Amino acid sequence: MWGNLNSPKTGENLPTKKHQKNPQKLKPPSPSPVFSPLPSIFASPCLCSPLPRKLQAGRPARPASGIRGSEGPLRLGRAWARLAGAPKILVPWRTTLTRIGGQYGAGTESYFTLLRFLLGLNILGALFQGALTLLPLLLLGPIPGPPSQGVHQPCGPYDPLPQGLVDYPTLLINLLSGEGHLEWSPLFYGFYPAQLSGGTFRLPVAYLLSTFVSGLLCLLLILHRSVSGLKQTLLSESGALTSYSHRIFSAWDFGLRGAGPVELRRRALRYELQVELEEASERKRAEARTRAQWAGLWATRILLNLLVLAMLGAAFYGIYWAVDPNKVLQTPVLRLLVAYLPSIFISAANLLLPPVFGLITGLEGYPRSRQLQLLLLRTVFLRLASLVVLLASLWNEITCGGKPEAEACATCGYNSAERPCWETRVGQEMYKLLLFDLLTALAIPLLVQFPRKLLGTVCCGRLGRLLGTMEFQVPEEVLGLVYGQTLVWIGAFYCPLLAGLNAIKFLIIFYLKRFSLFFFCSPASRTFRASAANFFFPLVLLLGLAISAVPVLYGIFVIPPSKLCGPFRGQVTIWAAVPHAIQGLPRTARDFLFFLGTLSFAVPLMLVSSVLMVYTLTLASSYGRQVSKLKGHIKMESKSKVLLAQRIVALSGEERDL
Amino acid sequence: MGNKQTVFTPEQLEAYQDCTFFTRKEILRLFYRFQDLAPQLVPLDYNSNPDVKVPYEVISSMPELKDNPFRERIAQVFSQDGDGNMTLDDFLDMFSVMSEMAPRDLKAYYAFKIYDFNNDDYICPLDLEMTVNKLTRGELTPEEVGLVCEKVINEADVDNDGKLSLDDFQNMILHAPDFLSTFHIRI
Repeated sequence: MWGNLNSPKTGENLPTKKHQKNPQKLKPPSPSPVFSPLPSIFASPCLCSPLPRKLQAGRPARPASGIRGSEGPLRLGRAWARLAGAPKILVPWRTTLTRIGGQYGAGTESYFTLLRFLLGLNILGALFQGALTLLPLLLLGPIPGPPSQGVHQPCGPYDPLPQGLVDYPTLLINLLSGEGHLEWSPLFYGFYPAQLSGGTFRLPVAYLLSTFVSGLLCLLLILHRSVSGLKQTLLSESGALTSYSHRIFSAWDFGLRGAGPVELRRRALRYELQVELEEASERKRAEARTRAQWAGLWATRILLNLLVLAMLGAAFYGIYWAVDPNKVLQTPVLRLLVAYLPSIFISAANLLLPPVFGLITGLEGYPRSRQLQLLLLRTVFLRLASLVVLLASLWNEITCGGKPEAEACATCGYNSAERPCWETRVGQEMYKLLLFDLLTALAIPLLVQFPRKLLGTVCCGRLGRLLGTMEFQVPEEVLGLVYGQTLVWIGAFYCPLLAGLNAIKFLIIFYLKRFSLFFFCSPASRTFRASAANFFFPLVLLLGLAISAVPVLYGIFVIPPSKLCGPFRGQVTIWAAVPHAIQGLPRTARDFLFFLGTLSFAVPLMLVSSVLMVYTLTLASSYGRQVSKLKGHIKMESKSKVLLAQRIVALSGEERDL
Repeated sequence: MGNKQTVFTPEQLEAYQDCTFFTRKEILRLFYRFQDLAPQLVPLDYNSNPDVKVPYEVISSMPELKDNPFRERIAQVFSQDGDGNMTLDDFLDMFSVMSEMAPRDLKAYYAFKIYDFNNDDYICPLDLEMTVNKLTRGELTPEEVGLVCEKVINEADVDNDGKLSLDDFQNMILHAPDFLSTFHIRI
């Protein structure tokens, strides 16, 4: 048998190696006759242990074809892989993220990856908007002076700048709430003039264009990220990983080194198994429920849902009420409090309600995965709907409840008595929300996590451990990120530098969260399916983008712009600047652009897109069918392999008998 | 390095290259790793094929294997007499099979042998219990362990004999999407 060196790939040495291992043990005839011929299918090099004996026999080693012949392509493949990995070095914080992933799990790492992605988006958006609005203003046009004071203007006096000397408290309040000097600054919409000197650069069109293009860019980048994540998830989680056998035999990564990652993987495995077992027992319990128990359960569920709705309604009413301008108070602290009242209400609702929801979903009797989904849905609804309620309250104030014939809105189309420059007001509200969000993010490690850690070390026993162990709650934190990004998308039109401010805020939050993670949090005990991170989070981000588009588009197309401030003063709607600008273009361009807006372009476009969509769907379903057919083929192949091997054994047995 | 190395004869190196998935450089690098494990035992000259075995305790202290719950079984499967003491050939075999270049069938074969604790060519419920306990380090209750083993056998046992043969195991592991990437030790 050692003589067959010309075909070492057949691995015929394998069963003989087994015999050599236990020469004393009499092996019982193996019941499955396929065992011995199976190694012939390997087509791989033999093992090396017989080698010394072969060499001692003095036979020259004839190099057969095989691994050395394929060494060239192998080396080339490796070099190419190294080259393709080079651009990844340019991405920042790579080592930090891998360290976080190794110590705290893939879910936490996905949060920080999302944060880095949003930071990139914000920097891109800020650069874009800055280049198209701020830069031309600084380079070309006259820096607009303060709006004319005291002169009686048709749509109410607009006087943002404070008169005379300002004391420090007022200065601080102005800084924190975007009033005073900050209100008439490039930070807000109102500052930008309608025309720049020179007349060639149309600031209104550039302003609109920058918003639309940055929104489109964000949409494309988020879609790209979610699609690539979806592809990865579809490949890796074909449903087979949820089976027990795969979890036991292929879930342990043999390449893990170091006590930290090993412990993490162990905990994750244990958690997964426990969750599976719990769900199985839950399903059995659900099947065993009687009618009366079902009725009771559903009654409880309806009651709890009503409770949830009631709490949400109370929170929303509080937010709606807090946006009230008619409070002229003397003490600066009270003024600041009133200015920040909506932010305080929103943050309070977002901090207090989700744990209550968690308790409630625990009582509803759903299996654990369903509970998590419900909790996530409720929290998403709370976060995004609170912003919607705030905007509805603002809208009510600005447009007098949607009644253009109401007394305050009759003259100018918007509530000019209270809000001579309503766009700046919306921008200010978003600015305050951003600042308060940053303040909350700074306050939580200091006021909540640090005392808990301290108490955990001081108190002993179970209570101390309960208080002291904190885990990084990935879904809640990701929803906080989505909330922060959504309010920037809403506010970026009314406050052009908001994206830049948000980039700085996210940078601060990255280092803050990393610090609190390493100092306060223990490794995660819950695993995170890659499908959640790769698919659900970009989806919620897209939802936030869609929600943020509504008030911006409404403001652009419906509400008349302020007559005293902004680049669109004096026009019917903000959008009217675009047709006005198109008029100035040469004839062909003008006709083409106007054609794009007509029905005769929109309807064929819609038809073509629906045809493409139907085609893609049919293609996808046919690929799915092909995949299942190929899977069936593989099963048949392995069965025929077994059959053939049995035949060989039977025939060789016959041959020997003859 | 080129042709200047004096550890192996050229025929030995060629034979090793044929038998494993490693290149010359890697084989020499692995030899030096092996030698570092036990410098007193392993000679620097393998031209005369010395029969040197590094004891199991030293092998299991390698950083690649130290934290692996299955290190004992891995060493036993790849050692010649099944006690965990490995010669250089066993060492090269082990890392060759666990490298990323080994095909799926080969890895599945050796994974089966590693999980077969009592060496009876079947993964019986007892073997499964030991595997689960090693994976979770006894943090599951005995009922839970029993439940898991029962479910695994239900899922993978095709010929219905209450234990997993090599075919059952291979059929099952062929459907595991990340088996190739997890059954991989980088050295």
